[in-house]
Amino acid sequence: MTDSDLDVFLSLIERHRRYLYNLALRITGNEQDAKDVVQDALLNAYLHLEGFENRADLRTWLNRILVNCAIDHLRGIRRRPDMYEPQPITDVAETVASSTPDPERLVANADWRRQVAAVMKTMSPLERVTFVLRHFEGRSIAEISETVGIGTNAAKQHIFRAVRKIRLALEPHWSGR
Amino acid sequence: MSHLRDDDLVLHYYGEDGPRLVEVERHLQTCAECAIAYQALTRTLSAVTPPEFIETTPLDDLWALRQMLRDRAGSRARKVSARFVALVWLVPLLYPLSLPLIVGSGRLAQTQILAAPLVVLALAWACAGPFVAAFALNRAAVDFEWLSSRAFAGGAMVAAATPGLYLLVARLLPGLAWWYAALALAALASLAPWPSTPRSTRNILVVHRLSAAVITIFALTHIGNQLVGFVSESAYAAALTFLREGYHQAIVEWLLLTSAAVQIVSGATMGMKKVRPGAWTDNFQAISGWYLAMFLITHVLAPGVLNPGATPAPAAVIAATQFNLLATARGAASLPFLLLGVVAFLYHVGTYARLAALAYLAEAQVRRLSYAAVFAGTSVVVTLALALCGVHLIR
Repeated sequence: MTDSDLDVFLSLIERHRRYLYNLALRITGNEQDAKDVVQDALLNAYLHLEGFENRADLRTWLNRILVNCAIDHLRGIRRRPDMYEPQPITDVAETVASSTPDPERLVANADWRRQVAAVMKTMSPLERVTFVLRHFEGRSIAEISETVGIGTNAAKQHIFRAVRKIRLALEPHWSGR
Repeated sequence: MSHLRDDDLVLHYYGEDGPRLVEVERHLQTCAECAIAYQALTRTLSAVTPPEFIETTPLDDLWALRQMLRDRAGSRARKVSARFVALVWLVPLLYPLSLPLIVGSGRLAQTQILAAPLVVLALAWACAGPFVAAFALNRAAVDFEWLSSRAFAGGAMVAAATPGLYLLVARLLPGLAWWYAALALAALASLAPWPSTPRSTRNILVVHRLSAAVITIFALTHIGNQLVGFVSESAYAAALTFLREGYHQAIVEWLLLTSAAVQIVSGATMGMKKVRPGAWTDNFQAISGWYLAMFLITHVLAPGVLNPGATPAPAAVIAATQFNLLATARGAASLPFLLLGVVAFLYHVGTYARLAALAYLAEAQVRRLSYAAVFAGTSVVVTLALALCGVHLIR
């Protein structure tokens, strides 16, 4: 790979950089991890640029690489006890139940965002990725299964489990516990 | 229509209920209980919104990004270190020395039970190839543009498949000189440009799994028969005689042969696809695949196997040879070959089963099942090892 290859690559990804960073941020939940994931994804994309030839959509290809890097990254974090300390889901539910009681104002509330982030941390990497792609990115389950490289049934099950965790932790709030 | 399940409501929320969309919506308008449940789901999920889109990202510093890519790409594309190339090629070079050790320690253990750990050590040496290959592949990236990288990848493949390859070469061309000649040939062949992996291997994977299902049924039956051998040689011979009625039918033999060929060809097209430093599971999956390919080739080409029309050797004779592998160096070569075959098969199929289970069970449940499977698999391998070394419950 030469410097001119690198320039070509950088101009190709120019329009997608911000989108990829934001997707990584939604999946990982923090800026440092998002930066690491995007850097890994861009490096992989750059090293395998020849494999992209004749593919229809650069963003789809970059997405797939980024999602797989994010899964690897999240798995790596879970394997390191010093970096992986999820709050038990029951604790998240209790914090939610005791927090501000006005549902309309919750979405804009920083405390609520922290609680959502805490629930996301209780999800497995695949639950988190499939949920983010379905819920935040609006991708269809078929697209998600293609991007992540799992069957549609598996993608559905991961999403169901993620939603179950969200409901278990956050619904006590609406029921006025 | 009965009440909707939570999962149905989730699919409806995301508009993923396909042909049931209208039916579910109609039900929600008539069923108060489901409507309340759906309302609760909608309220919660609609309150879970993504973080705001960030316009200024740490990647906006193009100079830093360029520098990072250049540095990291440069370090990735470096030639594989000579010590890793040497390490993987040392395995097949030293392998023949482990066989007399297995025989010697086995004989000693028959008179001195305290020498049994020596048999285990000698066996561990003979079985080390796939693990050395995994260790090396986890540390060095393979970039086929470099000669050293190709020598390394070829060495890793040969190291992983050494027990099978050795047995095959020994059967076709007996003598150590031929073994080293075969290694030299393999080393030369690995330096040639490697064919690239197809971009999409989805269809190949389907074919691979279908043929694997056939082989799996046969392999599990075979392993079960070998386990019976731990009870006694005569029990093994009786079970073998019974099973032969089935798998010596011409159609079964051709089905197995075709499945084995499909496995090898489809596996070869995907063999290097997921190999990369740090990816232990994927690397082991590839390595177990390489080993199984060599195992199938060696097994199919063994005398008496898949030989339509030939009269098979009596089951009792096979049992006497099979469970006395420590008697000769030739027999000892079959011991790591068979044991690694079982380990590779259990790992290869087990990894796929684990992925399939994740579609239906929670990750924690799958983890517990995986631990149970590892325990069961280890028990099977240890039992088989004892039987093949001539240890039986009933003599």
